[in-house]
Amino acid sequence: MIVGEQKPISEIKEIIAPYKKILILGCGTCVKTCFAGGEDEVAVLASALRLACKKDGKEIEIEEFTVERQCEDEFIREGAPAISRNEGVLSLACGAGVQALARRFVKIPILPGVNTTFIGVLEKQGVFTEECSGCGDCMLAIFGGICPFTRCAKKLLNGPCGGSQNGKCEVNPETDCAWQLIIERLKILGQMDNLRAYVPPKNWQTGLSGGPRKLVREDHII
Amino acid sequence: MTENFKPKITLFHCINAFDEAAELSLTDMDNCEMQTVKMACSSMVKDVFLLKAFEAGADGVVVLVCPESQCRYVEGNIRAKKRVAWVQNLLDEIGLDRRRLALGNMAAGDKAAAAQIINDVLKNLAELGPNPAV
Ligand code: SF4
Ligand code: SF4
Repeated sequence: MIVGEQKPISEIKEIIAPYKKILILGCGTCVKTCFAGGEDEVAVLASALRLACKKDGKEIEIEEFTVERQCEDEFIREGAPAISRNEGVLSLACGAGVQALARRFVKIPILPGVNTTFIGVLEKQGVFTEECSGCGDCMLAIFGGICPFTRCAKKLLNGPCGGSQNGKCEVNPETDCAWQLIIERLKILGQMDNLRAYVPPKNWQTGLSGGPRKLVREDHII
Repeated sequence: MTENFKPKITLFHCINAFDEAAELSLTDMDNCEMQTVKMACSSMVKDVFLLKAFEAGADGVVVLVCPESQCRYVEGNIRAKKRVAWVQNLLDEIGLDRRRLALGNMAAGDKAAAAQIINDVLKNLAELGPNPAV
């Protein structure tokens, strides 16, 4: 899922400062799971902003609404009436959701309330970890299901740097050494031979360095 | 402090920590106006409810829960403690001041402990004055 966190209230206050009627629009998918932008977070932020604005003597009307997914037009449509009766929309979706809204509602300012951070997993309740960089050429098959591009601080593809201590990365001792994990997993799988093959430098053109990517599924286009 | 300021307190309490008699003894305090919200377990204190209490005009909010490790539902009071801490940070961020909100652990029916926690908040409110967002 996409992991993000809500921007600080002071920044959000500045972002919405020019508006008197604002819709806080949540997204019920990834950002809900990471407690950044689901229905509950919309309610908390709306309440905190109402209190903050009242305290500062600023008049503002804040409406709350959450759609199932902000990155899909089909779901965004449900929010259309609320969006059109406000001067601006503070989106608590990821950057894709914010842009999907901006694409559809050209004349209304769509403002980000969340810092979109990474593609990750829920490691345990309340803890999210980055697992994938969306490189466009997945090699998890040879690395035992653990991504060295994302989880090794040096993005090493042909074995560890040798600096890890007690299974922790030398760059950040809070983080597991990805290569330690890869080797342990490959041992369990009986696939240590995977490490004999040289992995050539990554072709980053399939990643973001080749510019924004587009995925076309011709079979789904009429 | 604002003269003649009689603070409004919203008291969230778990029914296991706090029986009717204890509740009555506190709602009778004449140095504040008290509204109570009973919960089946303190884990039901969601951050939005605490903020809504301030939106509804409370000057201070008190959450009374059972002593740690004595929650009937195991970890309800720990969740309540974490949520209260989260909302205290929010209150600081929006300029309302974290001292308007407090959580206290009390053994079932310990009226003196409950009164002490409320009085501590009242002391803070005497300094902070009325809720500036009303
Ligand atoms: S190899 Fe690429 S696609 Fe696969 S997990 Fe790593 S970054 Fe993501
Ligand atoms: S210690 Fe492990 S994860 Fe850290 S840089 Fe070296 S190989 Fe990569």
